[in-house]
Amino acid sequence: MELALKDIRRHLGKFLATIAGVAMLLAIVLVMNGIYQGNIEDGVWLIDNTGTDLWVVERGRGGPFNEASRIPLDSYKSIAATPGVARASPLALYTAQREINGRDQQFTVIGYDIFGGAAGKTGEIGNGGPGRIVQGRSITAPHYEMVADRKLGLQIGDRVPLGTDHYNVVGITSGAVDSGGNPLIYLALADAQKVQFEQDKRAISAAAAANLQRLDKAGYSPEQAARLLPLLASGTNNINAVLVTLAPGADGSAVAAHIRDWLYFNVYTTTEERNLMLEGKLSRMSAVLGLFRTLLILVSIVIIALIVYVLTIEKIRSIATLKLIGAPNGLIVRLIMTQSMLLTLASFALAYALRDLIAPGFPRTLAFVAPQTALTFAVMLVGGVLASLMAVWHALRTPAQLALGG
Amino acid sequence: MRCGLPHSWPWADSVPAVDIHNVSQTFGHGELAVQALKPTSLAVEAGELVALLGPSGSGKSTLLLAISLIQPPTTGRIVIDGQTLYDEGPTGVDVRAFRRRNIGFIFQQHNLIPFLTALENVALMLQINGVSRRESTRRAKDLLGTLEIGHRAHSLPAQLSGGEQQRVAIGRALANEPVLILADEPTAALDTQRGTRVMTMLRQIARERRSAVIAVTHDHRMIEGFDTVYHLEDGRLARVDHHEQVDEAATA
Repeated sequence: MELALKDIRRHLGKFLATIAGVAMLLAIVLVMNGIYQGNIEDGVWLIDNTGTDLWVVERGRGGPFNEASRIPLDSYKSIAATPGVARASPLALYTAQREINGRDQQFTVIGYDIFGGAAGKTGEIGNGGPGRIVQGRSITAPHYEMVADRKLGLQIGDRVPLGTDHYNVVGITSGAVDSGGNPLIYLALADAQKVQFEQDKRAISAAAAANLQRLDKAGYSPEQAARLLPLLASGTNNINAVLVTLAPGADGSAVAAHIRDWLYFNVYTTTEERNLMLEGKLSRMSAVLGLFRTLLILVSIVIIALIVYVLTIEKIRSIATLKLIGAPNGLIVRLIMTQSMLLTLASFALAYALRDLIAPGFPRTLAFVAPQTALTFAVMLVGGVLASLMAVWHALRTPAQLALGG
Repeated sequence: MRCGLPHSWPWADSVPAVDIHNVSQTFGHGELAVQALKPTSLAVEAGELVALLGPSGSGKSTLLLAISLIQPPTTGRIVIDGQTLYDEGPTGVDVRAFRRRNIGFIFQQHNLIPFLTALENVALMLQINGVSRRESTRRAKDLLGTLEIGHRAHSLPAQLSGGEQQRVAIGRALANEPVLILADEPTAALDTQRGTRVMTMLRQIARERRSAVIAVTHDHRMIEGFDTVYHLEDGRLARVDHHEQVDEAATA
């Protein structure tokens, strides 16, 4: 007679409610796994997506993702002229927050040279252009086109106001996000710079008036001041990085050393850039998520253990009776183990289904890695078995005379 | 003190189903030692109903636990159905397996497994003794029918009255046709009418099946149902009443 199944059948509602509760907790553990892995994948996706060999950033800076890096636009041409460089593409990136689709949304703007920089082809990997396009196309026109991630809720053909201009959505990406999980918007480099640096007319007039006043005080004539004024206007020709594709057979470290020594920039390989990201910006978040995930797993195991223990305690008088009437230990062990394993397995299966249900609408990228899921399952299973063994130990130590107690 | 049946008893010359010799129970050691049961001997024949009567702390439950070897005695010898289970120490007999095959238990609170139906509770006893599912179900049904509770076979214990639960418990105790039935206050949770009915059934079936019954009770209403009553006081056997005396005591 399978006592465990009989017990479950009699208390089906309670058992299902317990499974649902444990499953929700386990689903959170699985989602945390996804957030943890998603955080890492998001963090390095942008780096990997560029497919470049070298990242050139401002001297002494760890940019462009971990730290601000500003270099003159024209410097990419000097870099392209370095021996061993097949192509050098300017890249601008910055975080912005605007009202899109009726709500304030934070996103990262990537401005890239749609013509491929100093050498190369339009839209190909290596110039920092968009990846993961699921609808539409990449940017082909030099101005007023954008590719946006679907997280922003935009559709092909939408016109999005940024700064003083409107941009047509020509492509939609899925999962194109920055290290913080914010969606990306791709613009042509000039457009990106314009959105970043362009001031409204009132601010421009105010700045011009102030400059004219300073030139006047310095003794310049109005004609001279008018000629000098454009030189004093704040520059908008800065970029954040230059992406370098090496020529076939070129020695990356030699090229990097050349750029570092002669052009006075910092140079990172893609691996170094990834490490900068993983050990810098992502490390603390990963540590927090990892710790949180570990705590959740521990809490889940403790809760499963307590549930198994309580399920056993609830039956302790029946177990004492079974012992007293001479039932073999195997029957008691099977009663506890079967329920415990059913609880653990059913909870995990439901948690798995819940996870898949939650994932599409989750506000951050969830990356599920099979070995990690398997490991979580194994840990939960071991926890369930240990809890069962604890309950079995308690049950087998229960004195049979407990059944005689009034 | 050794007690047995009077020579007028019909089974007096047969081998006793239960033979307890000088069984004592001491808890604790040294100065803290408490002798809960002084050396006690008794014999119970097959089909005989014996009551252990006495106030709380008189040693009756201790004796019951010792006989079943749930709490083995400190000294003495216990022989059930000719098999020596304890002789100043364990004899190597698998006590739990022996209990499973040869002893039935009836409890004050019935102690039915709450998630099994009446039928399953009785059938369980047979199945743990290796009887097939089909055969155990058939025999459990018959037994419940005999106990006039066949119509509640598929009810859970919580759906049964106290008297019905106790009859199911009797069915479980009798299922493996035990040599000995040990009962702990079997009628204490029942009113007089239900208690009497349960005792009548227990006596009738025990006689038919030749099972010895030892019941702990302090329910004086029920003692007329027993063949022999052992009076325990302060951990020792103070007096024995055989059936004629029991009838007299009950009438009085």
